[in-house]
Amino acid sequence: MIKMAHSFSATLQLTALGALLLFALTTVQPTDASAEPPETVCTQCHASLPDQLGTPVALWRKSIHAENGISCDSCHGGNPKDAANAMDRSRGFSGAPGEPEVPGFCGRCHPGVLKDYLASAHGKALGQGGPTCVTCHGNHQVLKASLELINEKSCSRCHSFERARAIKAAMQGTEGHILDIDRRISGFKASGVDTDRLGKALFAERNRFHTLFHDVNVERVKAESIRIDAALGKLDRDLKEIEETRTKRKVVGGIAVFSMLLIALLVHLLKKSYP
Amino acid sequence: MLKRLYDWIDLRIGAREIVQKELTGYLLPRKINEWYSLGSVLLVIFALQVATGILLMIYYVPDAERAFKSITFIMNELPYGWLIRLCHAVGSNMMVAVLMLHMLSTLIMGSYKSPRELNWLTGFLLFTLVQGISLTGYLAPWSQLSFWATTVATNSASAIPAIGPYLVEFLRGGKLVGPPTLGRFFALHVALLPIAIAALIGAHLFLLKRTGISTPPFGDPETNKPWQPKSYSYQSHPGGIPFFPNYALQDLTSICIYFAIFLALVFFAPNLFFTPDAFVPADPFQTPAHIKPEWYFLANYQTLKIFPSELLGLFVQAAAMTFLALLPFIDRSPERHPLKRPLFLACAVGGILLWIGLTVWGHFS
Repeated sequence: MIKMAHSFSATLQLTALGALLLFALTTVQPTDASAEPPETVCTQCHASLPDQLGTPVALWRKSIHAENGISCDSCHGGNPKDAANAMDRSRGFSGAPGEPEVPGFCGRCHPGVLKDYLASAHGKALGQGGPTCVTCHGNHQVLKASLELINEKSCSRCHSFERARAIKAAMQGTEGHILDIDRRISGFKASGVDTDRLGKALFAERNRFHTLFHDVNVERVKAESIRIDAALGKLDRDLKEIEETRTKRKVVGGIAVFSMLLIALLVHLLKKSYP
Repeated sequence: MLKRLYDWIDLRIGAREIVQKELTGYLLPRKINEWYSLGSVLLVIFALQVATGILLMIYYVPDAERAFKSITFIMNELPYGWLIRLCHAVGSNMMVAVLMLHMLSTLIMGSYKSPRELNWLTGFLLFTLVQGISLTGYLAPWSQLSFWATTVATNSASAIPAIGPYLVEFLRGGKLVGPPTLGRFFALHVALLPIAIAALIGAHLFLLKRTGISTPPFGDPETNKPWQPKSYSYQSHPGGIPFFPNYALQDLTSICIYFAIFLALVFFAPNLFFTPDAFVPADPFQTPAHIKPEWYFLANYQTLKIFPSELLGLFVQAAAMTFLALLPFIDRSPERHPLKRPLFLACAVGGILLWIGLTVWGHFS
């Protein structure tokens, strides 16, 4: 009897231990991970400073750079992990550029855009009162390149809006097309469709489209927008093919589900015929 | 032709006798209900998981460098690969859901009670192993979701005093989740756990055959004398209905209804069990914003968040699971009708509501 009780107690303990171990292995815990922009000694220190020394941090947090993990040191150099030597020029800190150096400063990461800018009327007026990158895109709250940046309030700071309006009108349809295709590709990607080729093709067309952003020749912008639209049309057809395939699958799925329910009903009725 | 073949087989193995004993002469309670067919549904699901798993193994590459690409190939290039993969992924969730329903019906009808404690224990172990096989399969696509969900899941073991850190390293095959983890989890997923599950299913069915099917506690009793054996005895059902064709048709009806729901999910809501992170390759340097476990672990996830100490949270969950596993040894009363067991019914309903509440909370937290 005592032996049996011992044996039962041991079984209970073993089962409890097994259940505990199995459960520990199959449970999960919450994670504190978040999509916050990267914190560096630059942001930690400057965020607490007043006025123009602290403002850039708050502005940067709302920028496309922060969204993509591009932090202070990516542009200004220096060591973002060493507070004491973060702004040591002998260790790569470059500080803030003067106005004529701004395009070259940004162009280190955006060489294609720099080329387009320098070829444009804006670029040719560099150093003679013409705009630099930060005039339209902002310097710390860097805005994503979009047609929204071409607006009366911004452009009319330097000249009339008429030509810019015509350029914007020519590009608006293409941008809408790009955004629509981007949205559809993202939707498919989020459901397991291999959108690698489509994504790359859209990326190329979007870049081609972005080169027009610094062009002020209305006719050239119109002609190029038509060519880009034609290329986007091919992507549109590829996406429609995927959509059609998905619709066909749903039709087949509907038939399969209906068939199963019908068989279930028939078998149920057959069962009822037995005593 | 078929009759001649049947005669030929019968001459050699006595097929008619087996059919008579196991099918047409195998009598079940007259009051048997639809819930009893969930076991057959689970057998079909397990078979389908094995079949789709074998098909996936032909093209899946269990290597961290190539796993995601191989899954992308299966989903996009391989003819009907998407269907096989979705059946496997949706099927694993359905297996957990149906298993929960099967256990719930066993609880409500008191079928776990003496002398069926071992049936319950094997079923409970099957439940934990099914959760384990789902967890190990989760890592296979080597996506952001699978990588980070496995990171947080294996990290939970670190809360176990003394052995925790070693256990985590043993599970991962290193300090962090990496290629060795995929190798280990893949071996567990395709070899060890399926064999263990198959063996436990065998044991579960063996126990079922040796003890006999329990009578549902509802309606008029089958006999005036309740079946409460003091020594081994098979619970027979004289005057009952034959398994074949009567109850086999009920099994078939339930299986068809299951397939209707399963196919509806596969074709119309395939992403119900996936988040967008499931389609992004694993990146150990970029933690996604919110990693949440599968729906059946959400209650556990939320429990861990409620308690201030991780160890306490684990302990409470382990205690609840241990209580559930040992329920037949704790609840010794022979009464099986749920309405005649008010304490049990209150605890069961409360437990279910708590689980649902924690799951919903975990989902929205």
